[in-house]
Amino acid sequence: MSKYMVDKFIRAVELSDAAVAAYVADPAGVVDAWLAGGGGPTGPSDDRELTTAERDAFAARDYAALYALGAHPYLLWHFTEAVYEHEYTPESGWRELVERYRAAVAPQGIVDYIP
Amino acid sequence: MAELVLAAATPHNPLLWRAMNDPVPDDLQPIAANFGRIREAVAAHDVDVLVVIGTDHVRQFFYDNSPPFVVGKAESYHGTWENEVRTFGMEYVELAGHRELADEITGRTVLPETIDLAVSLEWRLDHSYVIPLQYVRPELDLPVVPIHTNASMPPVPSVRRFVALGEHLRDAIERWDSDARVAILTSGHMANDVGGPRTFAGSPDPDFDEAAASWMRDGDLEGAIRVCSDFQRLLEAGCMTYQYLNAVAALAAMGGRPADFAEVTPSRFASSPFFLWGSR
Repeated sequence: MSKYMVDKFIRAVELSDAAVAAYVADPAGVVDAWLAGGGGPTGPSDDRELTTAERDAFAARDYAALYALGAHPYLLWHFTEAVYEHEYTPESGWRELVERYRAAVAPQGIVDYIP
Repeated sequence: MAELVLAAATPHNPLLWRAMNDPVPDDLQPIAANFGRIREAVAAHDVDVLVVIGTDHVRQFFYDNSPPFVVGKAESYHGTWENEVRTFGMEYVELAGHRELADEITGRTVLPETIDLAVSLEWRLDHSYVIPLQYVRPELDLPVVPIHTNASMPPVPSVRRFVALGEHLRDAIERWDSDARVAILTSGHMANDVGGPRTFAGSPDPDFDEAAASWMRDGDLEGAIRVCSDFQRLLEAGCMTYQYLNAVAALAAMGGRPADFAEVTPSRFASSPFFLWGSR
């Protein structure tokens, strides 16, 4: 169930410009607020749950850890791009982020991302 | 009866949308030229309606509800998503659907016996659909029947189900009591890794690319089935490589005959498929 929730939180952020902006401003606050929401046992289906390691990885924007935890690679890359692109400089932009990301995940090889 | 007049496979790499602008950089000119070739073929075949086989990229469909194949039965579609506008600089588009052909494909009351298809009447199309259409039919004036194949959220349909999808599409089109001229446009990849260990470092698996091009060039459907039956082999060629199977559906729809044009075009991102079967 947990990989599913990791991917679910990624989508909750990455699909929306407003959610990306909020998360970038306060990663830990947004992940904790997300965990506190949801449908509960009687509302529309919307469960939310992360392990401590998953929650902490999101709080730290730690894509290497999220990759190891089994985030879907496609979702994780676009999440990473979305939440780091405001830090681009003329010397270090998209291409450099790709290189950093790849350097972080390549040593891990192919991780089982199937929830 | 309606006629399947053309099938084509193209890439949908959304990074091209910013990178391949005027003036087109030297290294992307072969990609632009091959999109142009397919654009001209669609125009030359007087196509009335396009069946677009793509793979939603975990936008409309997610693990809370992940059907293997979805046929769009909406009257119209919004195109692209907020995150794609942000990330790729894409533009929102509106596309007309084609309910009558969609009904022929799915059946109105009972699904076809050869393949189980889910349907959707409200579906925002992502870059897998919008990018090929913008390059192949920039007027965006042809109605479409979009088909989603789950190629990115395992468990995925087997390659034989993609073959069954292609064969069923041909049958449904040829059974349709209409004088429409129909084309199948598929959207996908050669070996491609987005988010995995070989992200955006050129083709992650040139050997796969070479074999996968030859199946189209030689009309070797059995060769495609043999290799693509091995999910792990495709995963090792990159986490998004399974979308190549959309082109296998096109090959099956065209009866497994060799493509009239088959080229795999290298680029700075990955290698891009361009396959074309015409009738003129």
